[in-house]
Amino acid sequence: MIRRYLRLVALVGVLAVLAAGCAQEAEEQPQPGGDIKAGGVIKMGISADVDNAFDPAKEYSQLAWSIFNCCLLRTLLQYNGLDADEGGSEVQPDLATDLPEVSDDGLTYTFTIKDGVTFAPPFEDVEITSADFVRAIERETCSVCHEGGYAFYYTDNSNGDSLIEGIQEFAAGDADSISGVQTPDDKTLVITLTEPAGDFPLRMAMPAMAPIPEGAAEGHDKDYGRFLVASGPYMFEGSDQLDFSVPAKQQKPVAGYDPGRSWLLEQNPSWNADTDDLRSAYLDGVEVQINESSDVNFNKWEAGEIDYVYDGVVPADLLQQYATDPELKEQLKVNATDGLRYLSMNIAEPPFDDVHVRKAMNFVIDKDGLRRTRGGELYGPTAGHIIPDTILGGVLEGYDPYPSEGGQGDVEAAKAEMMQSKYDTNQDGICDAPECKKVSLIADREVPYAEQNALIADNAAQIGIDFRVGEGDRYTFMYDKCLDPSAHAAFCPSVGWFKDYGDAFTFGPPILGSVAIGPEGCCNYSLVGASPEQLADAGYKVTDVPSLDQTFAECATIPLGDDRNNCWAEADRTAMEEIVPFVPWIFDNEVRLAGPRIVNYTYSSNQGTMALQHVALAGGGA
Amino acid sequence: MRRILFLILVLFIISFLTFIIFLKLPATDPARLVAGRVSSPEILAEIRQNLGLDKPWYIQYGRFAKGLVPWPGFFLNEQVYFSYGNNVPVKGELYRRLPVTIALTLGAAVLWVIIGLPIGIVSAIRRRTLADRAGMLFALFGVSAPVFWLGYVLLFIFWFKLKWAPSPGLDVGESLGQAMFAGKFILPWLTLSLLFAAFYARMVRGNLIETMSEDYIRTARAKGLSERRVIFKHGLRAALTPVVTMFGMDIGYLLGGAIITETIFDLDGIGKYTIASIRDQDFPVVMAVTIFAALFIVAANLVVDVVYAFLDPRVRYT
Repeated sequence: MIRRYLRLVALVGVLAVLAAGCAQEAEEQPQPGGDIKAGGVIKMGISADVDNAFDPAKEYSQLAWSIFNCCLLRTLLQYNGLDADEGGSEVQPDLATDLPEVSDDGLTYTFTIKDGVTFAPPFEDVEITSADFVRAIERETCSVCHEGGYAFYYTDNSNGDSLIEGIQEFAAGDADSISGVQTPDDKTLVITLTEPAGDFPLRMAMPAMAPIPEGAAEGHDKDYGRFLVASGPYMFEGSDQLDFSVPAKQQKPVAGYDPGRSWLLEQNPSWNADTDDLRSAYLDGVEVQINESSDVNFNKWEAGEIDYVYDGVVPADLLQQYATDPELKEQLKVNATDGLRYLSMNIAEPPFDDVHVRKAMNFVIDKDGLRRTRGGELYGPTAGHIIPDTILGGVLEGYDPYPSEGGQGDVEAAKAEMMQSKYDTNQDGICDAPECKKVSLIADREVPYAEQNALIADNAAQIGIDFRVGEGDRYTFMYDKCLDPSAHAAFCPSVGWFKDYGDAFTFGPPILGSVAIGPEGCCNYSLVGASPEQLADAGYKVTDVPSLDQTFAECATIPLGDDRNNCWAEADRTAMEEIVPFVPWIFDNEVRLAGPRIVNYTYSSNQGTMALQHVALAGGGA
Repeated sequence: MRRILFLILVLFIISFLTFIIFLKLPATDPARLVAGRVSSPEILAEIRQNLGLDKPWYIQYGRFAKGLVPWPGFFLNEQVYFSYGNNVPVKGELYRRLPVTIALTLGAAVLWVIIGLPIGIVSAIRRRTLADRAGMLFALFGVSAPVFWLGYVLLFIFWFKLKWAPSPGLDVGESLGQAMFAGKFILPWLTLSLLFAAFYARMVRGNLIETMSEDYIRTARAKGLSERRVIFKHGLRAALTPVVTMFGMDIGYLLGGAIITETIFDLDGIGKYTIASIRDQDFPVVMAVTIFAALFIVAANLVVDVVYAFLDPRVRYT
């Protein structure tokens, strides 16, 4: 850490010369592994605020969802906040008494709501009922309310029509209510879909589906997050001061959320542990300070001013210190995130319009080398396929159709594959056609991508592929080119994908479905599933490319369970062996450092972060 | 009155250029920024409509220009001036951050005046002495040490190594007064003031040396006035007039946001807000902070002109 500062100071110096626990009091709570004392406020640092000021319909980021799920919001269904091997990927009843009853045709879901659960102040006397969930669903039909969010999980089926029956008609103002959402009584919610969606229970566990009391979100289409009424064990500090009795414009936002500066959570006095099996809530509160950079956060962490850095990458020197010192190793926390990093090949652009070239690339890439640029083995296992094992229940564990010793690449196997390509005219395993020269590689220029690009170029050169590397800003250069089919970006290596929830549906269509092609779709860079019209419009010579749309549609209808996992696994195999649009290279781990005050460190597989609903502070933070 | 109209014209030009640069020539479509990961044509059309981006450019500009009129209900109205990122109204954010920037600027200004002026004066009246050389060495260091370098050096030494200074940034829930009392502004003030103190020292020295060779100074001496009176009554008054101009402009400039200092020391002032808004291409915020900064500069310019007339009897405005 000190060296980091020194390096910075030295560098800048040269430039300068050249330039001139629950609401209750602290108590002993016996837990497996020892007694945990409730109490204390955990202090955390982040380097960027959430995107949409904590509006659950708009926020579409891991960090915001973590805070919602652990602390602020309860939904009908939720996860237990533990790792995958402790059931952390399986959805469980939260505000619902049980998992929903599903009709035989898979179209109707009936939820029964727990009795006696009330909202946080100032709605502490209001019991949560089915109408509060209807309000949340209806917010998904208001475009201002869900801008930037994920309303499509409720509004769109595979054809782009209503998924929840009548939701698009309601959104268009053609109906007074959503016909597919019924409340036979205060404790029953019935949702009818237009087509089966086996993962619908998981979608009901997302923050946008948290109940909203009557009158809370009115007039707050754009900014409900700053007037959020909690239902979880915590609420923003000052929530009890929210005054919904005056017109929305005169209401003052909650004090505990200071945009761009801090989040302060305190215990929700309405929360009752007896109604919540999924959260321990040992902490008295959560304090999150938004600092200027990750460097500041880690410096503060080292100085003992904060307990945990919630985002950013652990600096290499700090990581080395904590990974090698036996006394410090306990504080290093490494967990799988259900995320994939991969190299995307444009299957319509030469030479990657030849499947043998794509397979050869899978053989020749030094995945271990790429992993070293991210920090080595700690950052995850090398990947041999697309959908992370934890999402598929381990069905594809160990599966890799392009294996190599230590993941370091197999040049001979790559050459053998290349020999079968039309671009290897003399069949010597080296791509010698003109199409293999000056192949467009579009990448992020930041660390560590620039180093990765050089390694990829070296690897590919062994089978005759000569990359012309174009590096630039991720948002104004890389995405613009990689997402635009007419830009003819042949190879986009700086990409990755992370689940929205623990089902392969969030790994298939978004990166390989035709719906995700183009700058307005995101994020199918490979053009798998592109229509002949799309290809012609973008100026490709190829007129036909393979598609997985049909397979995805079939898998999506299957209820959660082994059959569904097997279907997605088969889709993954098809992608990897027949279409080969990617070189998957790492299943990402989250690497964090927990401060010495943190005890009962728990990782939530669903959230992909430390589970604030379970962690505690040594001695109750005293 | 003519000057005020001129200043309004300047603000209008700045606002129009900002509008053109950030909204009509953006690197990325603002609607796509709002839409996030999923931006179907329908969603983008809805967002453009919600933000008024589907209207002709002059109507769009008119909406923003109306928000710049200093009148209740108009000025930075929340219907137009809100962050495209998180929908937070800009006005509240600016007012919340302004005290931090004011505290930083005024504190640093006091420091650089206290440090820079005496050094300049001593260097001028003790030319070619050790004091003069030491003063000019300080000035050379000051102008050569960029704020972004000096800030990190001070943080590294006094916070990270010696632990004499508190960590950067205001603590959660800490008021501005508490932060100042806790010494959170000492390093930022030092960092920001050093460069200005160096400039001021050099400027005062040069002006005073030049002034002291004027005929009227010789006359004053010939009349038997004490050297102290000659320097402070007759010499300094003339030598400091341009310094006042510079001081006013510097204050105005910094009130618009001491971008680097605020960023290094994690101070949530106007400067840090500016950087974040530009990075996020958050146009309404960019527009507001640009005009806010321009307003400070032109206002400072106006004040300086008025003060100048008092300081220099030769200057009179009609």
